[in-house]
Amino acid sequence: MARVLADTHLTLRRWCFVKNLPFLVFGALFGFFLSRVGASDYNLIYRMFELTDLTLAWVILTAIVTAALGMRLLLGARTHTFSGTRISVKQKPLVWLNAAGGVVFGVGWAMSGACPGTVLAQLGEGKLLAVATVLGLVTGTYIYAVLVEKWPSLGKS
Amino acid sequence: MSAAMFETLFITRWPWWAGGIGIGLLVPLLYLFLNTALGVSTGYGNIVRLLFPRSRLKWLNSPTFAEPFGWRLWFMAGIVLGAFVASRLGAQSLLTAEMGILTASGVSSGASALLLFSGGLLLGLGARLAGGCTSGHSIHGIANLHMSSIIATIAFLLSGWLAFWLIRTLLFGGGVS
Repeated sequence: MARVLADTHLTLRRWCFVKNLPFLVFGALFGFFLSRVGASDYNLIYRMFELTDLTLAWVILTAIVTAALGMRLLLGARTHTFSGTRISVKQKPLVWLNAAGGVVFGVGWAMSGACPGTVLAQLGEGKLLAVATVLGLVTGTYIYAVLVEKWPSLGKS
Repeated sequence: MSAAMFETLFITRWPWWAGGIGIGLLVPLLYLFLNTALGVSTGYGNIVRLLFPRSRLKWLNSPTFAEPFGWRLWFMAGIVLGAFVASRLGAQSLLTAEMGILTASGVSSGASALLLFSGGLLLGLGARLAGGCTSGHSIHGIANLHMSSIIATIAFLLSGWLAFWLIRTLLFGGGVS
């Protein structure tokens, strides 16, 4: 019995359950919001690019404004997290790859009608074809790992 | 909970502003509780790492993926879980082979899967090259006024819009609507 308990404890520690549980909760909120507002709806992305229904553009814009105001309030009121870590907002480097990679990403966005976050919401909603998009994402990420091995300058972003 | 309230929260689609505010609030809250920047796409590297644990590729052996079961994977699992809960509460079908306009327009499942796989591949590659995706760059980055994120997002939108019309013209002969 003690051994089983020790093993379970070890497995839990290995999976960092306690440490990572808050991330599961935040992810769940994100997925819930994405799903409820229709960000995981293929048609809404299609209509956004078609410029016939800009709901999703408004969602993104509202999210940006809310996040910007929230960050202002947060950084004005606090320097540390509740657990005492210093809050640090890291800026991603400005390189030509932001635009070049962005162009590749945009084509993928139009083709799949999803982005790396919303496709996970599609999975949760039981959309079987989302599996194809996820497999593509994993493959694309692997291809990046191979490319950056050969051309290290691609890893600057 | 009253039936009307349940209907508003879980059945009827949320208005854009409600979803936008909810998603936007996650950015400061993630910092307040976990000192973490909102972002999803790097997490696909965790999955690649788990699929190829013995890979010698330098990028996969970087400190970012030292703990493949780390927070990024949990965050991703959370998104699946949250959408699952939303879809269950909304009493939608558990599994569906449909993908909106794409499958409704008569494109076969095989062709749809191929299109989505190719799109996903470009999403994965493009996000890594650009240094982030719609959440990391477009929401988190722009909200913090990062120039790299503004540039990346302009590229996402322009390229996506152009590609959309090209795909519609070339593949579907002018329209799937």
